[in-house]
Amino acid sequence: MNLPNPNFSLVFLRRLVSGMALVSPLAAPLEAADFVHEVVPILKQHCAECHTDMKQKGGLSFNTEESFRKGSKNGPILDTAHPEKSLILKVIVSEDEEERMPPKGARLSAKEVGLLRDWVVSGAKWEPGFAFKKPPYEPPLRPRSPVLPAALGNRSNPIDRIIDHYLAEKKLPSPAPLDDAAFLRRVHIDLVGLLPDVGELRAFLADPAADKRARVVDALLANKTAYAEHWLSFWNDLLRNDYVGTGYIDGGRKQISAWLYQALRDNMPYDEFVRQLVAPSPATEGFANGIKWRGSISAGQIPAMQYAQSVGQAFLGINLKCASCHDSFIDRWKLSETYGLAAIFSDEPLEIVRCDKPTGKPAVPGWLFPELGTVDVTRPKAERLKQLAALITDPKNGRTPRTITNRLWQRLMGRGVVHPVDAMQSAPWSEDLLDLLGSHLTENHYDLKQTLRLICLSQAYQSKAESFSELPQEGRYVYQGPRPKRLTAEELTDAIWQICGSAPAKFDAPVTRQTSGEGAAAKPPMVRAALLQSDLLMRTLGRPNREQIVTTRPLDLTTLEAMDLNNGAILDSRLAEGAQALVARKFASSAALVSYLWQAALAREPGADELQAAVALLGEKPAVSAIQDLLWGVLMLPEFQIIR
Amino acid sequence: MQPIDLDPAQPRRDFLKKLSAASLAALMARAPRAAAAEAVHQPTATADACILLWMGGGMAAPDTFDPKAYQPFVKGAPVAKMLSTFPAINTAVDSIKICQGLENIAKVMDRATLIRSAVQPDLGSILHSRHQYHWHTGYVPPQTVAAPHLGAWMAKVLGPRNPVIPAFINIGQRLEGVGESEELKAFTTGGFFGSEFGPMSLPFPEDAMLAVRPPKGMDPGRFANRQAFFKKLVDQNPHRDLMSDYQQQSMLRALENAHRLLSSPEAKVFDLGLETKETREAYGNTRFGQGCLLARNLVEHGARFVEVTTEYVPFLHWDTHADGHSVMEQMHREIDSPIARLILDLEERKLLDRTLVVIASEFSRDALIEGVPGSNAQDQSNAKSDTLEEPKHYGLHRHFTGGTSVVMFGGGMKRGFVYGATADERPLIAIKNPVSISDLHATIFTAMGISPKTMYEIEQRPFYATLDAKGVAIKDVFAAG
Repeated sequence: MNLPNPNFSLVFLRRLVSGMALVSPLAAPLEAADFVHEVVPILKQHCAECHTDMKQKGGLSFNTEESFRKGSKNGPILDTAHPEKSLILKVIVSEDEEERMPPKGARLSAKEVGLLRDWVVSGAKWEPGFAFKKPPYEPPLRPRSPVLPAALGNRSNPIDRIIDHYLAEKKLPSPAPLDDAAFLRRVHIDLVGLLPDVGELRAFLADPAADKRARVVDALLANKTAYAEHWLSFWNDLLRNDYVGTGYIDGGRKQISAWLYQALRDNMPYDEFVRQLVAPSPATEGFANGIKWRGSISAGQIPAMQYAQSVGQAFLGINLKCASCHDSFIDRWKLSETYGLAAIFSDEPLEIVRCDKPTGKPAVPGWLFPELGTVDVTRPKAERLKQLAALITDPKNGRTPRTITNRLWQRLMGRGVVHPVDAMQSAPWSEDLLDLLGSHLTENHYDLKQTLRLICLSQAYQSKAESFSELPQEGRYVYQGPRPKRLTAEELTDAIWQICGSAPAKFDAPVTRQTSGEGAAAKPPMVRAALLQSDLLMRTLGRPNREQIVTTRPLDLTTLEAMDLNNGAILDSRLAEGAQALVARKFASSAALVSYLWQAALAREPGADELQAAVALLGEKPAVSAIQDLLWGVLMLPEFQIIR
Repeated sequence: MQPIDLDPAQPRRDFLKKLSAASLAALMARAPRAAAAEAVHQPTATADACILLWMGGGMAAPDTFDPKAYQPFVKGAPVAKMLSTFPAINTAVDSIKICQGLENIAKVMDRATLIRSAVQPDLGSILHSRHQYHWHTGYVPPQTVAAPHLGAWMAKVLGPRNPVIPAFINIGQRLEGVGESEELKAFTTGGFFGSEFGPMSLPFPEDAMLAVRPPKGMDPGRFANRQAFFKKLVDQNPHRDLMSDYQQQSMLRALENAHRLLSSPEAKVFDLGLETKETREAYGNTRFGQGCLLARNLVEHGARFVEVTTEYVPFLHWDTHADGHSVMEQMHREIDSPIARLILDLEERKLLDRTLVVIASEFSRDALIEGVPGSNAQDQSNAKSDTLEEPKHYGLHRHFTGGTSVVMFGGGMKRGFVYGATADERPLIAIKNPVSISDLHATIFTAMGISPKTMYEIEQRPFYATLDAKGVAIKDVFAAG
């Protein structure tokens, strides 16, 4: 038995299995037709034109399960007592001109009739939540500069003008402003992933200048190394790049680390950044080529389809994973459109395969928003990709800047304007804000640091985080301030190294780091966790396995994570090294050490009770183990791990 | 140690209570959302706990549970005639024969359902970790989302039986420093369910205690002192006004839970040092044997899903690319008495009826065929020869996906029963009642009271316990079915 196409092993298995069932003395159990994969396409092809969306011929609408079960003006089309006598089954085979469905054109094939009959007889099970009707919201594609409402007082940042107006309309108060120390800590973690050091904190608190917050934001954004090494984790997650992992050893996958690191250091304009990934060079092709698996794989996972999925999700917030097997039932994307995008990338003509069954139809190369222009399918691949890259970054394409700025908003503010960030077809809680962020990026030559600066300088960012005793219902989200965030695995690791001065000297990422200072005094900045391979602790704390794109880190601390924090060998040795390093710093007294630790970790002095408890733990001549326990106690505080 | 009183219905009720909170949490981030409860009918469980004995590397069925014509080592004998390299022996059930070397398991086969017709897809190129990903998650990689492990499904849907014993425990597999470790990590996780439902990994059973003990070098006094200090800091925290805050509360609760487990009496369950010398010897002085003993203790005290592996390391253990026969002799010794002992101990403790023990592997092996007949998978034997010339030629050195044995004990399965069969002549493919991974998982899930159609939503798409919700439990293997 030869396999003509390596992609159909699953189909092959099914055939093998069903073939075997014939020799079995026991009949295989009757299986209901699969609603999503088998029934929906039949209903779509033969019935949708007259019975979905606004059309309800004969009073019958297939839009939702409810409307389908309600039936037509002639009553229910399903007979629950005798399913085989259901009206729907009668009309699809009826020869009566008045009765037959569809009334004109091709009839259902015998196979389709059979599938529909199996489905109806086995209870006509409907996929929960599935609906034929189009989603109520279709995001506009073009960019738009919103008309800004008048500023309230001196709150002139365009974000504040929109949000202040939004809150006023809803008769909601503005969230309380953030104090200097909390601002400094938050903005450091958000922009460079590090805590402010104690000297910086003191100087900032003492600085009377009105523009000191803006100066800090600018200084942080100007710190190329710290910025690059913090945002590296965000991009590694989004572009599924890592230093070890499936495929790297046998050449089935390639890193883009060196290019990515340099692009972040150089703050490459985002449109150029996207173009270089979409139409790749040897330095960036790891992203486009995806993971090549040994052996045969599902048709929806061939490299060209991975490309379509990755490009769609990362840059456009479009989930093409559904539409890689069949027409999506969560949004408007069709199988043929995913194949169209894949075909631009593919070296060879692609045949559309539906749920691992070849359809015989060729994929027509095409891009998702033809209203912006098309790709010339007669050109060679490299040129097709350049044309695609130009369409994705066309200034008339508002989707690309909206998608990335929404991701940045989510990182800084804890929740996207569109939520979730990978479903950009969803309605934003403020269209004006989403459009402002997008058009601001385009106007600023796709400089992402400008977006970060705009957000960080807003009063919205500089206000207290929302607090709730129970998780609010997402469906009814109303903006009431930033959402609290949790330190990521890398941020927590970096914080320990930073507080104690105990970072390792070696790292794994194949990147070139620059030293600061001159000549003999030149030294590299602290090695960051983002440059290291993941370890058990980081994995437990939510650093993802980057075989798939993962764009949101977990918010809650789980019990298994907490166990690792309580007794895991990695954290234990990090803290032991940290305590050693602190001993070597020779603090004048235990109280001085405690004061340093509170300022370095929490950006405040300890209270009298806290100081007393900590000094009691340390004693006058603190042992390394006592310092280690002190560190642990402080690092486990929600005040330390939750960014408010 | 006295078994604790476990009410199997209790965690389920707790779980239902938690469900509403969980679905809210799910909306918060990328977490999955459970399907509407009424959409899926959950079957009545015949087992409360599951132990998966994983024969990583491809356990050759003809040299273990499905003996065929025996070919002794005879110089010059054609490899094409070699089906089994061990003679068949009798078992406690007249009609069931298994291979020489498994004499202790033979004695407990009257408690077993033996499936001889498990099949796997031919993925075109045999890569153990890829087939293991498929076996453990039900989904062939690559997938567009991270698929949860079988144990993660149980942890997610059923929760722990005892709140202080993690629901999913993985014994014996190192995830660092072994070949294909990145690929192993990819499925040894909670997948998109998140790390809460991922495994507690105990690669060395003798060190399991370390996982539930204060960090190395920290005596209990210091550990308690540290916790007391932390509590003081929490109480004195000037951010007290945020004490009702959801995130703060949930973080403190997780830390509290962890500390409770670390200082609970159940922590002793992880300590094999508390077992008598006789007991430990009865399980054999190997990591797998000690893992079986640990699994027994964990299930007795409320673990939900425990996997114990002979450990997959490329080219070692079951993964014989040369010299297969002599390696098989070692593997027989490694598993024979621990598995038999485990079954008898569970029975003696009246746990076997409600504990499903499954012996499985990612595929079988054959002397000639790589993949299935006609596959274009690359021949990976390291001892290629048409005739038996040296001992290294003697063994089943190709990866075979057309017919694999799975043994199930207890947990509502029939006893002394064989399901399916493979051909007696090469190709040794399943010729009766082939069982796909989906159907095998459906059977295991059904025994545990989880519908194979159970669905969670991820990235707004449905994701089912078995592929496309199509796994069908094998009715014939259930004692009551």
